[in-house]
Amino acid sequence: MTEAPCCTEYSTSESYCSLSNFAARLDKLETLARLEETALSVLMRESGIAFFGSLILHSLAMAFVVGINFAIAFRLIGFAPRIKIAALSRFYLIHWYAAALIFISGTALLLAYPAKALTNPVFYIKLCAVVIGLLISKRIQNTFAYKPDVLVDSSSIKLAYLSIALWAITLTAGRFLAYTYSILLASRFY
Amino acid sequence: MIDFLLNFSQATGIYAFMNSAWGWPIAESLHFFGLCLLIGTVGLFDLRMMGFADDISLSQLHRLIPIGVAGYLVNVITGTMFLSTAPDQYLFNPAVQSKLFFMLIAGINMMFFYGTTAAAVKSGAKASPIILRAKIMGGISLFCWCAVIICGRLITYYRPPYHWCLWC
Repeated sequence: MTEAPCCTEYSTSESYCSLSNFAARLDKLETLARLEETALSVLMRESGIAFFGSLILHSLAMAFVVGINFAIAFRLIGFAPRIKIAALSRFYLIHWYAAALIFISGTALLLAYPAKALTNPVFYIKLCAVVIGLLISKRIQNTFAYKPDVLVDSSSIKLAYLSIALWAITLTAGRFLAYTYSILLASRFY
Repeated sequence: MIDFLLNFSQATGIYAFMNSAWGWPIAESLHFFGLCLLIGTVGLFDLRMMGFADDISLSQLHRLIPIGVAGYLVNVITGTMFLSTAPDQYLFNPAVQSKLFFMLIAGINMMFFYGTTAAAVKSGAKASPIILRAKIMGGISLFCWCAVIICGRLITYYRPPYHWCLWC
């Protein structure tokens, strides 16, 4: 099959792919370009308050979600063993509000630069880590909340280590998103 | 000051690391990791002092604070790496200056807390003046750390910093 440069139109990378992949990719980019031209996407990019407001809310919410998960995970691992995990689980109330805020602000940020995020594998790593991390949070909450007599077993400790690892991956992927993208359609109009 | 910071950065190898392919995002990731440790320990302690989850013993919750201190140290180290590598981008930036201001307020508040209230609070004192003081100190601390996060995010908004800093 004929080899053709597929990314040079929109990307800074030098990768090559087949002609059919090139067409499919262009089609996807057309869709993303149309999304970037919607009023909401333009507002998110051009309004400092909307963009930086979402960025700030995303960071604050992420700090609380990750922070609360770290605290509970460290307790499960064995730090401060006299704290009742059932009592510590009350912080999950704040955690879930913050998690909702992460998704709302994250969606707003995604709308600002959809092509930049959706064409970057690191975005999907972050998304998977967040979703699995939250599922683990729910599992830990279901196990310990309102159940002061439940003891920490080895599977809970493993979940705690996994939780710490997943949130560390989330934070790292979140920061690397800004450095690993190869397509930034919106920037072409500035 | 700029020359001093740049010389320090170059002499210690920080400059080379930060200008390597992944140096900057690695430092940023560690910086936010440290901040999450801080919010997850000091932030929860502040919330508890403000009256949230009042069935947790403050003295027990205080045992998580060393983890927050470790997070703070990570932040000091990585923050120094940012500042010394690109001092002109940080020293004149009003968001950085505000961030340092809120860190100072949080530090003073912490000293007041440990000097006047911590012992009584950790021993489980129920006197209302102590509880009120603890609530106020917890509120100030949590506000300051949230403000630190907000100012941290705004650093990129105030770039280039020379246009924004009226007193530099």
